[in-house]
Amino acid sequence: MQRLPLAYIIPGMKTYEEVVDANGRTLCGKGVELTEEHLKRFQEFGVQFITVEGLKVRLPWEKTLEEELEGLEKRFEGISDPVLLNIKEVLKEFLLEKYKET
Amino acid sequence: MDPYEKRKEVRRKLRKLEGLPTLPPIVQRLNTMVEDERVSIGQIAELIEKDQVITSKILRLANSAFYGFPRRVSTVQNALMLLGINVIKILITTSSIFEILHKEDVGLWEHSVGVAACAKILAEKVELKEPQEIATAGLLHDLGRVIEKVAFLQEYNQIIEFIKKEKKDPLKAEEEVLGINHAEIGAFLMRQWNLPERLIEAVEAHHDLSKAKEFKKEAAVIHLADVLIHARGYGESLYKKVPPLDEKAFKILKLDFSFIKELFFKLEPKLYELKFFTEELKKETEGM
Ligand SMILES: [Fe+2]
Ligand SMILES: [Fe+2]
Repeated sequence: MQRLPLAYIIPGMKTYEEVVDANGRTLCGKGVELTEEHLKRFQEFGVQFITVEGLKVRLPWEKTLEEELEGLEKRFEGISDPVLLNIKEVLKEFLLEKYKET
Repeated sequence: MDPYEKRKEVRRKLRKLEGLPTLPPIVQRLNTMVEDERVSIGQIAELIEKDQVITSKILRLANSAFYGFPRRVSTVQNALMLLGINVIKILITTSSIFEILHKEDVGLWEHSVGVAACAKILAEKVELKEPQEIATAGLLHDLGRVIEKVAFLQEYNQIIEFIKKEKKDPLKAEEEVLGINHAEIGAFLMRQWNLPERLIEAVEAHHDLSKAKEFKKEAAVIHLADVLIHARGYGESLYKKVPPLDEKAFKILKLDFSFIKELFFKLEPKLYELKFFTEELKKETEGM
């Protein structure tokens, strides 16, 4: 999953979340493959960001799944508090889902 | 110098605001206006709009992802209605400090906006009133760290050294060097600036929940948000590892652990927006 400024969105990308306009109105559901028409409409309604499935655009600051998991291990190194370790597990599940290709 | 004496010296310096950026002149007028019950939001908006720099800063923060309004906030009056006068007052009071923050320590800036976004989600989940105030407390929670860097640079460097070389806990290192930690420094200044007690307590107690008296839930939200943002690995602070979590936070908030996964999914899109926001700020400062 990635959330991108409208300018980065190209037809064929699939929505991961609903697309909501500047007035809070839903313009498009989730799991929808975007078309040129969608994009025009989004622009008209002042949409700024869209959350799409997968990681389609290479962003310079974005880590790979391997880097994310490695960072996670490092941040939790030496930690034994069971609640924190539960948070770590939840994060792992979250990351695996986030990076899942569709 | 022993920590007790040092603490006194630090507080003296803070009281005189030595080495701190001066508050925008508009703050004082705003404070008197806010206290006057006859003054309307429209009049307050008019005063703020006279200052174009402040106006654009306010609108920008009002539109950023940590507040997460679906509508575009396009006027000061709009911002005042959505965020409330408290928040606007705080954003104006602290504007010069945040400017220093994202220019000088972009890692801590990212940490702060991340905690703000996370705190907003938590505050909404547990139905605290005015969640945008809690987001603002998140934004300010490590304010003391910025102050250490701006007004006590020598001591700050020593703190960093203690943490790196002697593997000291960051809070302990601060207390040894300055006799006071960043949570206390932040709260001390916020009191001096007459900011609302609700936010002050949340900042003061974010590493020690027992310090919260009247606003335990607010403090618990900021504490938990701080731990979760460290866990997610967004931004940077003096903690290279996830800081200690006080489990009581869940009890105080009557929050079930199962919400945490949902929270990370809600948070992630916000973190993307905040990253783009920060990149934009960076470009502007570099271009200046
Ligand atoms: Fe902190
Ligand atoms: Fe923090």
